[in-house]
Amino acid sequence: MRKARKMNSALRRFIITIVFLTMTAILTSACGQQTTNGQGKLNITATTGMITDVVKQVGGEHVEVSGLMGSGIDPHLYKASQGDVKKLDNADIIFYNGLHLEGKMAEMFEGLEKRKPTVAVSSYLTEEQLHAAPGQGEGMHDPHIWFNVKLWISAAEVIRDTLVEKDPSHEESYRSNATAYIEQLEELNTYAKEQIALIPEASRILVTAHDAFGYFGEAYGLTVTGLQGMNTMSEYGSKDVSELRDYLVDKKIKAVFIESSVPKKSIESVIEGARQLGHEVKIGGELYSDAMGDEGTFEGTYIGMVRHNVDTIVSALK
Amino acid sequence: MSDFWILLTGALVASCCGILGVFLVLRKMAMIGDAISHSVMPGIVVAFLLSGSRDSLLMMFAALLCGLLTTFLIQMFQNSGIQSDASIGVVFTALFAIGVVLVSLYARQVHLDQDAILYGEIAYVHWNIWELGGVSMGPKAIWLLGFTLFVIAAVIGLFYKQFKLCAFDPALAAAIGIPVVFFHYLLMGLVSMATVSSFESVGAILVVGLLIIPASTAYLLTDRLGVMIGLSVGAGVASTFLGYGAAVLLDASIAGCMVCAASLLFIAAFLFSPSHGVIVKKLRLRQLT
Repeated sequence: MRKARKMNSALRRFIITIVFLTMTAILTSACGQQTTNGQGKLNITATTGMITDVVKQVGGEHVEVSGLMGSGIDPHLYKASQGDVKKLDNADIIFYNGLHLEGKMAEMFEGLEKRKPTVAVSSYLTEEQLHAAPGQGEGMHDPHIWFNVKLWISAAEVIRDTLVEKDPSHEESYRSNATAYIEQLEELNTYAKEQIALIPEASRILVTAHDAFGYFGEAYGLTVTGLQGMNTMSEYGSKDVSELRDYLVDKKIKAVFIESSVPKKSIESVIEGARQLGHEVKIGGELYSDAMGDEGTFEGTYIGMVRHNVDTIVSALK
Repeated sequence: MSDFWILLTGALVASCCGILGVFLVLRKMAMIGDAISHSVMPGIVVAFLLSGSRDSLLMMFAALLCGLLTTFLIQMFQNSGIQSDASIGVVFTALFAIGVVLVSLYARQVHLDQDAILYGEIAYVHWNIWELGGVSMGPKAIWLLGFTLFVIAAVIGLFYKQFKLCAFDPALAAAIGIPVVFFHYLLMGLVSMATVSSFESVGAILVVGLLIIPASTAYLLTDRLGVMIGLSVGAGVASTFLGYGAAVLLDASIAGCMVCAASLLFIAAFLFSPSHGVIVKKLRLRQLT
């Protein structure tokens, strides 16, 4: 009898502890929220690093930009943290890539549209400019539009027009920033074309781990082959590995490329297979595909990233 | 306001999972939530291939059918004498593998897996508003989960005695004329409904975690079914609150923090439970000697 009561009181203590801890948690969570919107700047949140960079360039000093996906993060695998929720909550405008790059998150952006401007930077692109994702139903497109600099210029225009519309008082500044930046992008486009043209025509074949470079290949005249499908999560079959290996041997391809956000194990097995058939393939270097380099470095900007990719490809295949 | 909706969603998921988790733990079928999280894959793929759309209601319906099929198959294998853990393992790996094969055959280039299509994220619930005639009715997830909780509470409440007897002594239950198999299927039906609607709202890890961990915590604290259900729901709700607090402090994944909090509560119960706790048992042994 006494023992039972002792147990009961212990149980009660356990429950009281839980209740107490819970209340502490509520209090801390209630205190945790505060917004940092100083000096009447527009708060802007963007999903990928590429978009964040363009918003910074076009918005300049009049906007406060925060990106959700940092360097090296695969957008297909991104998970929001509590801080990201606050960033999205506090944002005056949200920019995202669209075309299903952000997966289910995009569905939520579409729902959010009624309450705050959420803009897909791919929204100005026409059906002809987009690639269909091969073998898919209606309306499925390759989302990796940033690899064609021309298409990315249209993304900069989306951002410019949205900023002008939401913050007309700084229209002039946005327009001149955008014009200057688009000029840089045009130069970048020319640079990429000139550089890729240095590669002998028969060697203009780009082999990577996953199918992100479709737009890049089309814009700059490279044949693109990937081991994995567009989704970095999809499994590659043993047939994919052997087919790609035979392709490498057949076309005498000098180098294949790995990507910053995709593990390189898959591509290594192909290289090993080619070696056994007596064809030496080297890894031509690391390309930035779904994410950019570290913030603060040259590769951490959109222009730097594209230049890095172009230079890496050219020096390995030339 | 986002805090409120996230906590309410978490509490609803914890309640649904807490009630059902108790029965699953008692029947040694706790991993069924994890099984369903994988086995919905072929349903999603087939629904996508047939319709070509990613409409979330359609996907949820397909997932629900697959969940029911999973629980039905598991129950069937178990009834014919296969170990419950083995039948869970056989069914979900087989169904998941079918899904993987279908994707590699027909849909290689799409983001097509339950992560991209079905699983929601608790961080986003408060943006997914249900509108009725232009009037905002609050987050969709709250309605969906509230409805699920209502159904679970109603069914379990109405047939509480039958469920209780089936959980502890199916032989006796059968002897006194309770349709044991029917109640097993009913419970499994509730489980697949609860898991699929929670997957759609908050994602997989949180559901699987809240289905198993709070129920196991409660299992350590009491030997009475009613108290166990109460404690399981309590521990689940407490973990969502504690976890959210931790997520705010650490700026980390909300679902992840909630499941970690549930695990911490489990460890606390494991060590300090007045009846089954490791430390209490040690002390009692020392007192005896």
